[in-house]
Amino acid sequence: MSPGAAASGRDTLMKVIVCLRPVPDPASRLFVNEDRTWIKDAELSFVTNEADTHACEAALELCERVSASRSEAGEVVVLSIGRDRAARVLREGLAMGAARAIHLADDDFEGGDEYVRARMIARAVEKDGGADVLLTGVQSDDLGGGVTGVMAAELLGWAHASVVVGVNAVEAGLRARRELEGGLIETLELATPCVLTIQLGINQPRYATLRGIMAAKKKEMKTWSRGDLGMAAGDVGSEGALCQVTEVRVPERDHRVQMLSGSPAEAAARLVEKLRLEAKVI
Amino acid sequence: MILIVAEHADDRLKPISRELAVLGRELADDLGRTLTVAILARDPASLVEECRALGPDRIVTVAGDRLEPYDPDVWTAAVEALVSEDEPAFVLAGHTSTGYDFLPRVAARTGRPLVPACIEWQRHGERVVFTRPVFNAKMHMRVTPKGEGPCFVTAAPGAFPPREPDEAGSGPPQDGGEPRLDAFDVDLSGLPVRSKRIGRESAAAGALDLGSADIIVAGGRGIREKEHFGLIDDLAEALGGAVGASRPVVDSGWRPRDYQIGSSGQTVSPRLYVAVGISGAVQHLVGMQSSRCIVAINKDADAPIFKVAHYGIVDDLFSVVPEITRTVRALKGQSPPVGSAGSGRESD
Ligand SMILES: Cc1cc2nc3c(=O)[nH]c(=O)nc-3n(C[C@H](O)[C@H](O)[C@H](O)COP(=O)(O)OP(=O)(O)OC[C@H]3O[C@@H](n4cnc5c(N)ncnc54)[C@H](O)[C@@H]3O)c2cc1C
Repeated sequence: MSPGAAASGRDTLMKVIVCLRPVPDPASRLFVNEDRTWIKDAELSFVTNEADTHACEAALELCERVSASRSEAGEVVVLSIGRDRAARVLREGLAMGAARAIHLADDDFEGGDEYVRARMIARAVEKDGGADVLLTGVQSDDLGGGVTGVMAAELLGWAHASVVVGVNAVEAGLRARRELEGGLIETLELATPCVLTIQLGINQPRYATLRGIMAAKKKEMKTWSRGDLGMAAGDVGSEGALCQVTEVRVPERDHRVQMLSGSPAEAAARLVEKLRLEAKVI
Repeated sequence: MILIVAEHADDRLKPISRELAVLGRELADDLGRTLTVAILARDPASLVEECRALGPDRIVTVAGDRLEPYDPDVWTAAVEALVSEDEPAFVLAGHTSTGYDFLPRVAARTGRPLVPACIEWQRHGERVVFTRPVFNAKMHMRVTPKGEGPCFVTAAPGAFPPREPDEAGSGPPQDGGEPRLDAFDVDLSGLPVRSKRIGRESAAAGALDLGSADIIVAGGRGIREKEHFGLIDDLAEALGGAVGASRPVVDSGWRPRDYQIGSSGQTVSPRLYVAVGISGAVQHLVGMQSSRCIVAINKDADAPIFKVAHYGIVDDLFSVVPEITRTVRALKGQSPPVGSAGSGRESD
């Protein structure tokens, strides 16, 4: 039995909680909202953050490998914050194979930054009896800060490794491969419980099968409010955020770019001429 | 005071440390504060000389065997101790595999604001407003740290380029004299070992070195399928250049890892860089934005790649790229090679 399981009196060999964040479909056209503090997102379609689907796959594979080698069950729990959008990504996680879901939903949860969400995640993990491993995606396709998982590790008092491109259970805990700059990879041994932030490309996330989708409907989904997490109104949403959003804007385009228009053949001809005669690079 | 946590490897400062010094000096001068550079290392003395050249008012060294190889728990403890001793207004680290690995822990431990991947800052009265890219750099968000006390910032690599050495005003301050040198004592030996480095290797051990290429044509996820990547090969061949790729192309297995350009791949600065179906995420731009001439082909006029491009074509890459290849070949009097992917695509 793993140290985390022993401490919490759980009988599963390995419990992995995965955070799934709903984000606007990356193909969406984005417009700034009226008060210029976020985007107009009411009409957008939302999907599971790309890195989080890799995290979910990594959790399922980790538990499958552990179960296969030690003939004890592992459990994957998916966790998400937000209203219907979050419930939808949780159902996707369940359809992929997670055992159950935790949905943090409350009107007070609107807005907020990485710190607020890290606190909520840490509270939820504790309320659910802890875990051996908490996984998040390396970064989200909306805020893209890449820090929520690391903050959650700190608030839980757990070890962590960020930008993980490989993970395996070993006697001492986990062995993780972490990506550094310039193609360098380091291998770490981590004590559990720990947090890993999962990098894109670590695996090929499985598609939910029809059977998985049907089975997901019968799986447990707990819904917890702010009160359930024992947090004050001032701790969540934009009030709990440590940074105030002053403005969201479309970046100015650098004036140096020359846009070449016309039919494909015309644009191509213009480009080649510019590259030859103006930039003199070909 | 503004505190910079320098990054180093093999007894040398990493380039990000020089960029942090640019941001740190800007903030210090504007706010009328001093600039301190912290060196966390087994033997910080070997880095002091290089840190002087960053022009700080003070250098503080933290020595300890546990500081190398890097362990986030140890760096977190050291920086937290420094911060509670010195009470800096801002603590700066790189948005790098080191900076975004330990600074969020310090921020969460102290319950103070963190601005990740900062690319710009401004003064608004008494407050400092930081800009960070959101939605994969399609939008920028300006944020103001709340409350009083230290605020943590990770600076996006490439956002605060150091001036060239021959430009005026760079280098250590001539009038300010020597920076003060302090040693900061903190006992790190008792921290539990929760993560341990047991190996280190290069993922892209392949032979492809794009660093010396004059011309690079790089394809991104916009190519959609492995079979279409021949479009990129053809244009590269016509131009006499090399082929590169963004990360999703490599993650999907369309091209090997050593084709990847960006923060976790190769850094290039060719004479000509053609980005095809690449959106221009920060991690990609870091690897190619110093190219002399950048061409972007993307169907989305708002794609951030156009922010660094010199020439842009907003259109479907599948119609434009073959036209460019044809034009270049006609110009050079080349004929398309037999069995090129350009002809292959006509059959699908
Ligand atoms: C720690 C870390 C390290 C990373 N390191 C790297 C790195 O080294 N290199 C790297 O590249 N990325 C890296 N990334 C990933 C990076 O954040 C982006 O996800 C990635 O660069 C996006 O690649 P892309 O532009 O090809 O794909 P996308 O962002 O999906 O963009 C595809 C583009 O193609 C355009 N397009 C689609 N169809 C067409 C068409 N028919 N015609 C014309 N245009 C079309 C779209 O408009 C879009 O702009 C890293 C991420 C993290 C978190």
